[in-house]
Amino acid sequence: PERSARISKVRPPLHQYIRKLLFSDLDKSSIEHVLRQLRKLPWNECEPYLLKCFMKVHKGKYGQIHLIASLTAGLSRYHDEFAVAVVDEVLEEIRVGLELNDFEMQQRRLAQMRLLGELYNYEQLDSSVIFDTLYLILVFGHGTSEQDMLDPPEDFFRARLVITLLETCGHYFDRGSSKRKLDRFLIYFQRYILSKGALPLDIEFDIQDLFADLRPKMTRYSSIEEVNAVLIELEEHERSVSTDKANSEKHSDVEKPPSSSTSGSTSVN
Amino acid sequence: MKGPLDRTKAVVRHLPPSISQSTLMEQIDGRFAGRYDWVYFLQGKTSHKCQCYSRAYIDFKRPEDVIEFAEFFDGHVFVNEKGIQFRTIVEYAPSQRVPKQWSKKDGR
Repeated sequence: PERSARISKVRPPLHQYIRKLLFSDLDKSSIEHVLRQLRKLPWNECEPYLLKCFMKVHKGKYGQIHLIASLTAGLSRYHDEFAVAVVDEVLEEIRVGLELNDFEMQQRRLAQMRLLGELYNYEQLDSSVIFDTLYLILVFGHGTSEQDMLDPPEDFFRARLVITLLETCGHYFDRGSSKRKLDRFLIYFQRYILSKGALPLDIEFDIQDLFADLRPKMTRYSSIEEVNAVLIELEEHERSVSTDKANSEKHSDVEKPPSSSTSGSTSVN
Repeated sequence: MKGPLDRTKAVVRHLPPSISQSTLMEQIDGRFAGRYDWVYFLQGKTSHKCQCYSRAYIDFKRPEDVIEFAEFFDGHVFVNEKGIQFRTIVEYAPSQRVPKQWSKKDGR
């Protein structure tokens, strides 16, 4: 053939070493060793490349993604800026994934979802970040002219993203305010999937498993009217709670200065 | 949990891939010098496979400054050397975490 042979990429030795550590050496038994080796790297030089490799979780084994999160946590003690960058980068990748909705990147996007959940499990981010991401998945691009491109009616990939994230870290939302937040989200999630129409069986089974796992007693609504009614009630309740709160704060403010004047809404003559 | 009133970390997205950190900071410092504590810039990349935008995270000293910054820079158009326009997006960073200043030096 007339074409010249393909030239394979030659990487600097340090990059080759990082790749070897992360892509071939890393497993449950070697993680301590890998962490120590990473700490020995010349950080000023390597940090951007390391970040890049941490984002390639889709190239490794799905079941080993927690090791990358664990390494991030291990490194945060000495290189907090790196751990912050890992979290920011995963969130950006997830956002870009929603913006592009590129079919070919699906495997990668699921792996990144898994990484986000594992980063929560290793205490690298707050539950609020997880919930913001979950709601972003449900609504991104909706109500815009691009909706049919970003989340076509027959496309169930976003449901997969939600399932993947909650499979990874949902079991930690079992008490207190994060429990309430998951209860609330799961109703919105139900509305989302009901708005899609008939679910493919594989998605339906995964959703059944998810509910059985996280909220076995929760009602599965069967029509969009039903779930809408529940949500209207919920939103009304939330509104009244928040105005009550605002009112009581106002009262306590008024009470503080001992009646210096009777100013306020009545004195406007 | 941080409410909307105490978030200080913003992200500037969809910057031209070729913009340099110093060019960007010049633009920002014209108005916001001294009002932030931390900046993290990521250079984008243009290749035949992808066009990755540049991006910057900025942690402001006061929550109000984020709002003023967004009013100023959200939708701001940068034009690159080829005349292509890039409309920036300014948002609260989804993760509000900022590196601890005292990050230990690694004894290894």
